[in-house]
Amino acid sequence: MSNLDDTEFLEPATLAEALRFMADESTRAVPLAGGTDLMVQWEAGVRPPPSRVLNLKSLPELAELRAEGDTLIIGAGITHAALRRSPLVRKHAPALADAAATVGGAQIQALGTIGGSIGNASPAGDMAPSLLVANARAEVASIHGSRTIPLTQFLVGYRKLDLAADELIIRFHLDALPAEYCEGWRKLGPRAAQAISKVMGSYRGKQEGGKVASFAVALGSVAPTAIRLREVEQWVVGRKLNADTLREAEERASAEVKPIADIRSTAEYRQWVSGRLVRGFLEHLASAG
Amino acid sequence: MKTVIRTWIVNGKKYTVEFPPMRRLLDVIRETLGLKGTKEGCGEGECGACSILLNHEPVTSCLIAAGQVPDGAEILTIEGLELTHEGQELQRMYVAKGAAQCGFCIPGMLVASYAHVTGDHPDNSDAALREAHAGNICRCTGYAKIIEAVSAAAERLSHEDEDDDT
Repeated sequence: MSNLDDTEFLEPATLAEALRFMADESTRAVPLAGGTDLMVQWEAGVRPPPSRVLNLKSLPELAELRAEGDTLIIGAGITHAALRRSPLVRKHAPALADAAATVGGAQIQALGTIGGSIGNASPAGDMAPSLLVANARAEVASIHGSRTIPLTQFLVGYRKLDLAADELIIRFHLDALPAEYCEGWRKLGPRAAQAISKVMGSYRGKQEGGKVASFAVALGSVAPTAIRLREVEQWVVGRKLNADTLREAEERASAEVKPIADIRSTAEYRQWVSGRLVRGFLEHLASAG
Repeated sequence: MKTVIRTWIVNGKKYTVEFPPMRRLLDVIRETLGLKGTKEGCGEGECGACSILLNHEPVTSCLIAAGQVPDGAEILTIEGLELTHEGQELQRMYVAKGAAQCGFCIPGMLVASYAHVTGDHPDNSDAALREAHAGNICRCTGYAKIIEAVSAAAERLSHEDEDDDT
């Protein structure tokens, strides 16, 4: 016996069929992709067994991964394993490929999906920062049609998304990395693998003649959602990549984040690490020129 | 209690099984198929003891609703792995290097090793071998002997590839 034996298992063959299930309250179900978060919570009884589960694994519409002009399109069902080994992702969003390579171990990477990671709406989700620096948009759909929302607005708060009960996350649209730009990803956890992040982040930037020409930076686990550090970004653009700039950017980043203390870390440590990460990203940018 | 019927290729043989769709793949492998080599450690996807290969990718079978595994899927468990050439080479090196102690993690560990040595262009540096086994926890060995064993097996297997080319 398992406590999920009475859960109804819905197996749509197409996205349209899946959206019809979601449209009607009598058939609405919990969408299940890789299962790396949900299966654990159900089995442990942390979450009550759901009445219905909607299997997303079989939907071809969620499995696309392609570049279209200056946009990289990633289906919600793409796994971390597929992200880390995709030459397209490596080329157009390298910080996302790097982030995917640090989620769990190989077994978790083969199961977990980018849509599930964002859909889980945890501030500790490792996919969000790299998506944020690529100005990602989330595309969601219901039987009434689809809409595309900037990820900054889609991530509403702790465990909260701008997602209606009848909608599913379909894909993400990212600005492909422009020529002469570079990216980086850093994650701090208690050990190198299988660890939930204490603080993690990504940047995308460009330098010209020793000055910061463009800089986007996003951190996770420092606020209810992953966030862009807009104040640091604005302050640093146009400045010389020298010791004074690095020091002040570090201080400003520490001041800009408002993390909490929890079982994984303290607020003070997270603030300090946030500053160090931003400094590290600027050093990376300086050496990339 | 509703059930589904699936036909899978398990360790090279066709099996048709019936089970409640939200049962964990781990339970279907152990209880329905009767293949007890795959172990349950944590049941949370942390320890890797339940690792199997699903369509050639290593996965933790405790996290998969078995109904999500479609007809025609290929499953390789420790029982099938030991019938393969690479699996036997890994087994020999695990024994030779003393990589197994209590043995509970070893079926899952060997699955991770097998996935690595049979992958496209495996990188056999120490760092890459450690990363390939990062999803598997062992409380006995301290990992060094396991990594030595996989390294030795990978070395022997790569020389065979060279022989094939000549």
